[in-house]
Amino acid sequence: MIDAALSSSGAQVVLATSSDENYPPENIIDGSTETFWISTGMFPQEFIIRFSGTQKIRLVTIQSYNVKNLKIQKSTFSDATDFEGIIDKEFEHTEGQLQSNDFALNGTRATHLRFIITSGFDHFVSVHRVMVEGSSESNL
Amino acid sequence: MVKLRAKCILVGDAAVGKSALSQMFRSDGSHFQKNYSMTAGVEVLTRTVHIPDTSDGVELFIFDSAGKGVFLEACEKLWEQPAVLCLVYDISSEQSFQNCGQWLERVRGHSQGQHVPGVLVGNKTDLAARREVESGLAQEWAESQGLEYCETSAKEVENCEAPFLILAQVFHQLYQDRLQAIQALA
Ligand SMILES: Nc1nc2c(ncn2[C@@H]2O[C@H](COP(=O)(O)OP(=O)(O)OP(=O)(O)O)[C@@H](O)[C@H]2O)c(=O)[nH]1
Ligand SMILES: [Mg+2]
Repeated sequence: MIDAALSSSGAQVVLATSSDENYPPENIIDGSTETFWISTGMFPQEFIIRFSGTQKIRLVTIQSYNVKNLKIQKSTFSDATDFEGIIDKEFEHTEGQLQSNDFALNGTRATHLRFIITSGFDHFVSVHRVMVEGSSESNL
Repeated sequence: MVKLRAKCILVGDAAVGKSALSQMFRSDGSHFQKNYSMTAGVEVLTRTVHIPDTSDGVELFIFDSAGKGVFLEACEKLWEQPAVLCLVYDISSEQSFQNCGQWLERVRGHSQGQHVPGVLVGNKTDLAARREVESGLAQEWAESQGLEYCETSAKEVENCEAPFLILAQVFHQLYQDRLQAIQALA
């Protein structure tokens, strides 16, 4: 089992609606919760992670702060089209510690995952790490 | 370098000069509408404010809202998750000042418990001869509500940018504070 959402596994953030150059979206996929991406105002906010090839996903874990509602969509196309919704979740507010939420996906196939934050517990929300447990389909 | 985005809700009684102020701000003081043209619903204006001594900016999305009651319901639908608030009254109208508390409550009702920084603006200082609201009194009330305070004249292009510059700076400071708090977590 590998973490498919690591830049060292070939994953990329291909879109993010906010960018403070000191807190780039690449911080989401660098394998560390100490670095993060922060939204810079207004909702919704989103980012899209592209995997290297198609993944069969078992589990997605997201570590964040002050996210209230998150929707996850997937695309199975290499050009990131036709996203379909797979998750819509209200998060708990955590004071003074990161939120950690797991989503079991039973081998859902995807080339991209799109994360849409429609509301927050604060004006600004941060995403520290996204982990995607799965196996690459390209070498089947 | 960062560009923040802030949803700024602009409210107050009808004809106090909300549209005049926001249009002066957007047009850099070149456009004062002398004839009253009532706002029906919400008009969104945007302008980016540079934050002094930084390379940062705040893009304000000003939601210039109707003061007339019949439009209230329609306006409120667009006030979800406000970032900052600009509350305007007319210094020559005691009534428009009295109603500020109600406007404040309405906007804060959409904040979902979040802190919404704001500024109280006494407009039409050119009508000093007809002043009905003393500055000191207004300032005191603003402080008691956690609002900044300033006075303006859209007509005389006096201090028109001040409310928006204040809001941009306060929002930028809020961002710095939140960044620090998040860094302390990680
Ligand atoms: N003397 C004077 N008149 C002003 C000033 N600012 C606005 N006005 C006038 O007041 C009237 C109303 O201004 P608006 O900006 O349309 O008022 P508003 O608050 O947007 O009103 P609604 O859209 O109905 O809520 C217009 O005739 C403006 O020219 C000012 O600083 N001094
Ligand atoms: Mg108006």
